Amino acid sequence: MGTQSRSGIGLKEFYSAADVGASGSAGACELPGVYPFTRGRARPAQAAAGWIHRELSGEGDPARSNAQLKYLIGIGQTGVDVIGDSPTQSMLDADHPLVRHSVGTQGVSLCYLSDYVELFRGIPIDRISVSNSVNSLFALCGIMGAADAFGVPLKKLRGSVLQAPLFAADASYACGMPVTLMSRLSVDSMAYCAQHLPRFHSYVEDTYFFSETGLDGIEEMALGFVEIRHLVRQLLSRQVPIDSFAPRIAILVNCSMDFFEEIAKIRATRRIYARMMKEEFGAQDPRSMSAVITSHTSGLTLTAQQPINNVVRGTLQGLALALAGVQAMEISAFDEGFRTPSEEAHLVGIRTQQVISIESGVAKVADPLGGSYYVEALTDAMEARIVDMVRDIESAGDPVSLSESGYFRSILNRASERHYRNISSGSQQVVGVNCHTMPPEKDHLLRDVAEQKIAPYRQRIEAVKRMRLERDTAAVKQALRQVRSQAQSADINLIPVVYAAMRQGSSMGEVAGALRMAYGAPYDPHGALAADF
Amino acid sequence: MHRPKVIIGLLGIDQHEVGAIAVAGLLRDAGMEVIYAGRYNTPASIISMAADEDADIIGISCHSWEYLEYVPELMRMIETDQLDMSVVLGGSIITTTDAAAMRQVGVAGIYGPDSGPDRMVNELHAIAASRQSRLRASMRSP
Repeated sequence: MGTQSRSGIGLKEFYSAADVGASGSAGACELPGVYPFTRGRARPAQAAAGWIHRELSGEGDPARSNAQLKYLIGIGQTGVDVIGDSPTQSMLDADHPLVRHSVGTQGVSLCYLSDYVELFRGIPIDRISVSNSVNSLFALCGIMGAADAFGVPLKKLRGSVLQAPLFAADASYACGMPVTLMSRLSVDSMAYCAQHLPRFHSYVEDTYFFSETGLDGIEEMALGFVEIRHLVRQLLSRQVPIDSFAPRIAILVNCSMDFFEEIAKIRATRRIYARMMKEEFGAQDPRSMSAVITSHTSGLTLTAQQPINNVVRGTLQGLALALAGVQAMEISAFDEGFRTPSEEAHLVGIRTQQVISIESGVAKVADPLGGSYYVEALTDAMEARIVDMVRDIESAGDPVSLSESGYFRSILNRASERHYRNISSGSQQVVGVNCHTMPPEKDHLLRDVAEQKIAPYRQRIEAVKRMRLERDTAAVKQALRQVRSQAQSADINLIPVVYAAMRQGSSMGEVAGALRMAYGAPYDPHGALAADF
Repeated sequence: MHRPKVIIGLLGIDQHEVGAIAVAGLLRDAGMEVIYAGRYNTPASIISMAADEDADIIGISCHSWEYLEYVPELMRMIETDQLDMSVVLGGSIITTTDAAAMRQVGVAGIYGPDSGPDRMVNELHAIAASRQSRLRASMRSP
């Protein structure tokens, strides 16, 4: 077996003109900003301000996270990305008995509509793009509530939500909802946004979080395309026109450590997406065919050993993303191996992006690697492998049934095992882990930052309980009954009724419970709470 | 030789199963019997599973700081109920300082990404073997 790329593509000693276009690709004569957009969505690759710089953030309660967002904007962040704490990501309110040790430690606790208002107070949500790494249903209602409170028209609202109905439960974000319900909520929010929030990206296909289980680049994009194709087909079957929603689809890709393969993966993704949208789904608007690529450097490649090495990894991955021409970038914090990002790690992430974009000069021209024999050949190879894997998965069955039957879970689990075996056997070398190691007593650079912790935000539990008592209980119960009853009819868009319930003061946990009940699932997946409406 | 029986699980709402699944596979390959308890366990639920299964070892995967609260609770319950169960932890977030605190409350082994599979497998074999010899001794004594 010769040298291989990370995804197992066999590599030659060198590449030449004979390798380009061998698979029938028009790589050599493609132009940036022109179909099939392999070389970039636009020319130049981004607007004058460059790609959006942001860091995943959120900790404690909404007020503390609001201060954190303002700090990040203060150091030059040009977008916002908010992640919920583990209870919020699991659709459990802060006062659920199972979550008492995890409130506010790995993100921000968001239970009520008013929490989003507090979170975004003073953030110009009509000018700065707010990316929500919180469940899309509640993040969408939350940002609509904030827009309403601040007098921002929905038509002007920027930002995005992630849709991950097929993979959430299998990749760390289970919330006790059947896949059919998750899928419907995704389609409902996309259809709703196509009509009411024209500038809002209602669908970010997040291939980042599920590929962090250890998928390679081919598997990552194949699963991503399976989900995109599933959701697009659902919308088309509801008669939502393709060009009304496709321009607002973005793909959030992972960037791992195989520098050229990651660049080729992104280039291949843009070409596959363009061809699929035009030839298969009949898009006519070029914006529907040119994928918006946002990106996150891989947390899985970061190590707890010698944390300073993670700064170098983040730089290399960020450079790959800049060369690939992405629209937004986040660099995983160097302390990710230990903790929720520290202020210092956020600063390093933003400064890394600034050095790449301002000093290195790599973003002066679009697709600077276009025409490289190697990159073009690798782009063609990645394209062919991804397309093949999508075909294989789709021939195995309907994606919702595949998700329910554990098909994707077994792919993800196999990838996890493979990843750890490769490292523990030494077949994949990682500096500081299985080569060039250092005794723990000497490994102290940046360790003081990494050892600090965010304590559970227990006062938040009491605050959430108090807010429950301050509501019009009868109106909340009525609103939750409405959610449950409308969810029982498959042909009603659920966004308005959920938004109304949230405005009435219902909590995320209650609304999620009402939706679960409509689908025959337990109100509380952990059996600790019962519905009282 | 006794085949060690290990329960692998996560506590609270820690959902990062990547390491737990990988370790479960490694231990199975090393000839152990692994019962994968998955996510959403509490100290009480995992103790009850370990008792029902007569497991030698409870292995907790830690990728959320919840373990800092739950593991001492788990150790107190084992001590209060006078159970012969050993608890080991795995995960990259366990810092040197926290590892010392966990050993203080009675955790028998702690494994991070740099531990190496051989050390973990050997230590788990030893922990299980000593529990089995205690059990045999208690059966022999009247």
